[in-house]
Amino acid sequence: MTDTRRVRPFVFGLVLATLVVAFVGVQVWRDRVYGEPSPGDSVLYVRSGEALRRLSLSFSPLLADVYWVRAVQYYGGTRLSASTTRRYDLLYPLLDITTSVDPRFNIAYRFGSIFLAENYPGGAGRPDLAIALLEKGFRANPARWQYLQDIGFVYYWWMGDYRQAGEWFTKAADVPGAPWWLRSLAAVTLAQGGDRQSSRRLWQALRDTADNDWLRNNANLRLAQLDALDGIDQLTMVVRDFAARTGTIPASWDALVRAALLKGIPLDPTGVPYVLDAGTGEVTLAVESHLNPLPVGSRADRSAR
Amino acid sequence: MVILAVALSVFRESVRDRVFYNLLLFAVLLVGASVLVGKMTAGQDVKIIKDLGLSATSLFGLFIAVFVGISLVWKEVERRSVYSLIAKPVRRQELVLGKYIGLALTLLVNVSIMAVVLYLLLAYMHWTAPPELRSAWEAPATDPALLKVFLLLYVQLLLVTAIALFFSTFSSPMLAAALTFGFYVIGHFNADLKHFDAVVTSTPLVWLLRALYYLLPNLAPFDITAQVVHGQPVPTGYLLMTIAYAGVYIAFLLSAASYIFARRDLK
Amino acid sequence: MYAINTENLTKDYALGFWRKRPYRALDRLTLQVEPGEVFGFLGPNGAGKTTTLKLLLQLVFPTDGRAEILGRPVGDVAVRRRIGFLPENPYFYDHLTAIELLEYFGRLLGLSSREREARVPYLLDQVGIGAERRLPLRRFSKGMLQRVGLAQALINEPEVVFLDEPMSGLDPIGRRMVRELILGLRDRGATVFFSSHILADAEAVCSRVAILAGGRLAAAGRLTDLLAFGVKGWEIVVDDLGVDALSRIQGLAAKTTRIAENRYALEWPSTVQPERILTDLAAAGATVVSLNPVRDTLEDFFVRQVAEHGNQRISPA
Repeated sequence: MTDTRRVRPFVFGLVLATLVVAFVGVQVWRDRVYGEPSPGDSVLYVRSGEALRRLSLSFSPLLADVYWVRAVQYYGGTRLSASTTRRYDLLYPLLDITTSVDPRFNIAYRFGSIFLAENYPGGAGRPDLAIALLEKGFRANPARWQYLQDIGFVYYWWMGDYRQAGEWFTKAADVPGAPWWLRSLAAVTLAQGGDRQSSRRLWQALRDTADNDWLRNNANLRLAQLDALDGIDQLTMVVRDFAARTGTIPASWDALVRAALLKGIPLDPTGVPYVLDAGTGEVTLAVESHLNPLPVGSRADRSAR
Repeated sequence: MVILAVALSVFRESVRDRVFYNLLLFAVLLVGASVLVGKMTAGQDVKIIKDLGLSATSLFGLFIAVFVGISLVWKEVERRSVYSLIAKPVRRQELVLGKYIGLALTLLVNVSIMAVVLYLLLAYMHWTAPPELRSAWEAPATDPALLKVFLLLYVQLLLVTAIALFFSTFSSPMLAAALTFGFYVIGHFNADLKHFDAVVTSTPLVWLLRALYYLLPNLAPFDITAQVVHGQPVPTGYLLMTIAYAGVYIAFLLSAASYIFARRDLK
Repeated sequence: MYAINTENLTKDYALGFWRKRPYRALDRLTLQVEPGEVFGFLGPNGAGKTTTLKLLLQLVFPTDGRAEILGRPVGDVAVRRRIGFLPENPYFYDHLTAIELLEYFGRLLGLSSREREARVPYLLDQVGIGAERRLPLRRFSKGMLQRVGLAQALINEPEVVFLDEPMSGLDPIGRRMVRELILGLRDRGATVFFSSHILADAEAVCSRVAILAGGRLAAAGRLTDLLAFGVKGWEIVVDDLGVDALSRIQGLAAKTTRIAENRYALEWPSTVQPERILTDLAAAGATVVSLNPVRDTLEDFFVRQVAEHGNQRISPA
């Protein structure tokens, strides 16, 4: 009866659907040719977290979340990328902005410092930036003794500076509300800094006071690595014992089992067998073990002998 | 042509409603800023003026696009001037299209004049700057690449206008304004939707977010201010594809708006 | 071919937010308007007159039934080049002047610039807009807007003109102008569809009328057919009627109304010969001031129809 009304809804729906497919298609094509709009790009533009915080008005926490997601995506994307020259340049700025926009963003400080401190190429390899981030966190949240403890860790684990580590543990202990054992931790660190036992104590402390699963798992990983190092030391002694007795290096674990020096094939804390090099007699972790890479050749390596 | 007549009528209404007074504010803002900035940072002043000029163009344009865009259809219906208009040989789709083109024209004039003002100011800054300072600039003061920024900015405004017009064909002006501004904000964070799989573990949610990324208007790629201000090149292919994206999306919105308006009872 | 033709035209509105209760604004309207007539479309407020007009102009869409203008379905855009519409309480564009508005509409109607040049000033003269034509419409009073509305309805020399309350807001001179305009249109051969609730206006110009009440057609036809043009009775105004003469007359007259001291208006049924009454009155010593026949008016008819059909809505089936 009336033409404008009878614009056959079905045909119209088809036209609309086609247009939707078209604009989605253009977008997909463009992303493929010019790369996806990486959220990190915009950081080039706005470097000032402080300015962003003012601009975000009452949406600061939300904006901080956005930047946190971007930081995680940036870290993960860079770490998993196949490129041989990975660069973590934007990691600190992203974390800095996140924590400027929301100074109370706890995990941004704690995880962020781990991403930053971890050795390249697994992380940025910048313990100095990790410390800067944690110090910023403590200035904004003076009740958070955990940040000072984390700073101590960075000095201890990544920089091998036991004196500084001990000092920071002491500072952490001075914060009202800090647990009593921080002081003994400081003392042990200063006294025996570098040996495996005190390291173990550190990680246990961190594990027991962890805010969440991720930090706890990280601490457990470190403890397992220390156990693995102990395991390697003990096995090395067994191998030397065998060599002293028989004058030859054992060909495999079976030889040691047959010599009644071992009860069975030795497994590392994750259940993967250790590897014995029949040529040199060296004991190492299997390549596929999740405990790799071990913190070898540094502080944690010296066992209490 | 009927559509053109409606479009020109919209343009004339914008002029008489003093929409273009915003240009005065723009000019005052820029000139004032350039005076202040000149006394502060050395070497960064040109960049700051470019940033400010482009941001202001975007912001003023946004307000015009949303507020005028929403009232285009609504005012006609609300004030009943549409009664005598509909009795003329004008199809409803032609009305919607004509209104859109009229506002597009208004925005074109607005953005063009702003571009001219900015270039004049930058030319002045170039002329008054000593050669050592000029060499420190990442990009020339009167950089022709700025035109690319203006172009994409204008296209982005066209898209926002289409969104405003679409919502205004069936909802009240308040709601339409809220929705349009909402989509504008979401449109800038669209890229993050796609990357949420870094922190979200539920797969259906990730798929939903990705679908939203593709379906919602993606406005961030229109903002190439950062690249151009830092002197980085922008490929022509990128420009063309982004404009094509906007073109198809606008066609979609205008078709839907025309359809809705054509079937509506105008009480 | 009819100028306007509707067949079972029906419009329901859905009221209420959750449970939509349909409200029937127009119920199965069937009527035809011949070309060249002045057709009065009458009814009380809320009867459905404006709804009908909106349906004819496709401002709203019918729930059922159909309508045609000049043999084409109502949605046909080309036919709108040949019609004109004056809405009730018209509102146009604040920022345009009267001249600019007519120019704009003229362009939409497809008139050439020469045609516009000729017709715009001519029409503005016709509707009585003088120097104000250069002022923006926001400065116009209601009456002036009404005149502009008429002008824009006629600018394309339409074959069918729809007028919704065309006399509204006009002074007596303006009303006469509209009346003359309508008669002029009729003389030119155009069809006028005239919607109003002021019956006197309709009575003066319409050849046929339809009465709408409660969304339904109550009556339609030639004015002369609907009204009994026969005389119902006589009204005599007399002066100097003495008291005893009055008491005698009062029994005989159907109705007696006192106007002033000794002046009375007396009504007699048509069964009585007026000569007899005059003689009686003269004998009583009264002076006859005036003698008028009483006829059925459109108003009486209207009121009767509305009372009969009621302004109640029927619910849709």
